[in-house]
Amino acid sequence: MPCERRHKRMLHQPIISAPPLIRITVLQDQARVSAGPRVELSTVLGSCVAMCLFDPDAEVGGMNHFLLAEPPAGRGNGEVDVHYGVYLMEILINEMLSQGASKPRLRAQLFGGANLRAGMAQIGSANASFARTFLERERITLVREDLGGNCARRVDFRPALGKLRCRVVENTLAPDTAPVPRPTRSSGEVELF
Amino acid sequence: MSKTTRILTVDDSASMRALLNHALTSSGFDVEQADDGIAALEWLSENEVDVVITDINMPRLDGFGLIEKLRTGNRHRDRPILVLTTESSDEKKARARAAGATGWIVKPFDADKLVAAVRRVAH
Repeated sequence: MPCERRHKRMLHQPIISAPPLIRITVLQDQARVSAGPRVELSTVLGSCVAMCLFDPDAEVGGMNHFLLAEPPAGRGNGEVDVHYGVYLMEILINEMLSQGASKPRLRAQLFGGANLRAGMAQIGSANASFARTFLERERITLVREDLGGNCARRVDFRPALGKLRCRVVENTLAPDTAPVPRPTRSSGEVELF
Repeated sequence: MSKTTRILTVDDSASMRALLNHALTSSGFDVEQADDGIAALEWLSENEVDVVITDINMPRLDGFGLIEKLRTGNRHRDRPILVLTTESSDEKKARARAAGATGWIVKPFDADKLVAAVRRVAH
């Protein structure tokens, strides 16, 4: 077939568009992990913090969205419940490992931790500080952070590619959050066999 | 004078080990730490302990493997072993029980409940 005719035929072939993205919203207290190349994890943050993890070799990533809880009744007046934060971090890391990631290869990014209202308790700062300390203790490399300030953020993360976009959004889009007691499902129940 | 109860905590998370260490030493226990099942076995080959508290998901040797190895050896066959985990499935709990675990505690742990469980199983 002459080159000219072949070229003409190609011009008339339908354009095949890429399959649509599968968008998953990560809500407070949730963690999502995926190796799906078309998956995008999204969240909107005020004083909450999202930790995004990516293993470039395994091509798997994940995001959590947490707000430290109040400590159990009668303890630590005005403090936050670090136990619950560690638990939410561990949920994400365990799911990453179960999908082929390796802890030494993990690369972390942190977002959120804003203090949206002047004069209120600096909840966002407490969450951001906890997240940084957690990563240092676990020896997980922090490659990027956008924490603090007084603006809400939206994070869109392609977990299998490690591609991430963080932008400032209207504060009215962020859930109005304050620390609450840890969920009753997570009360450290003991069962002796 | 009664002997101090000695506990080995096994968890790959340094943050969780720190929380456990604080909760247990505050209640008067002597605490040693290992960061996975292999490190725990190495330590236990040369040391005595009253109670082992272990996570499930760990590199090199997980909590199930650690329990099985301790139960098939002579030295720590009867040692109380508490599993402390984020896992909530009945299947994994049954597996831990079949392997020889003494109890199952769900994270995030409550310090009072954890200490009460340790006192109850410690010989």
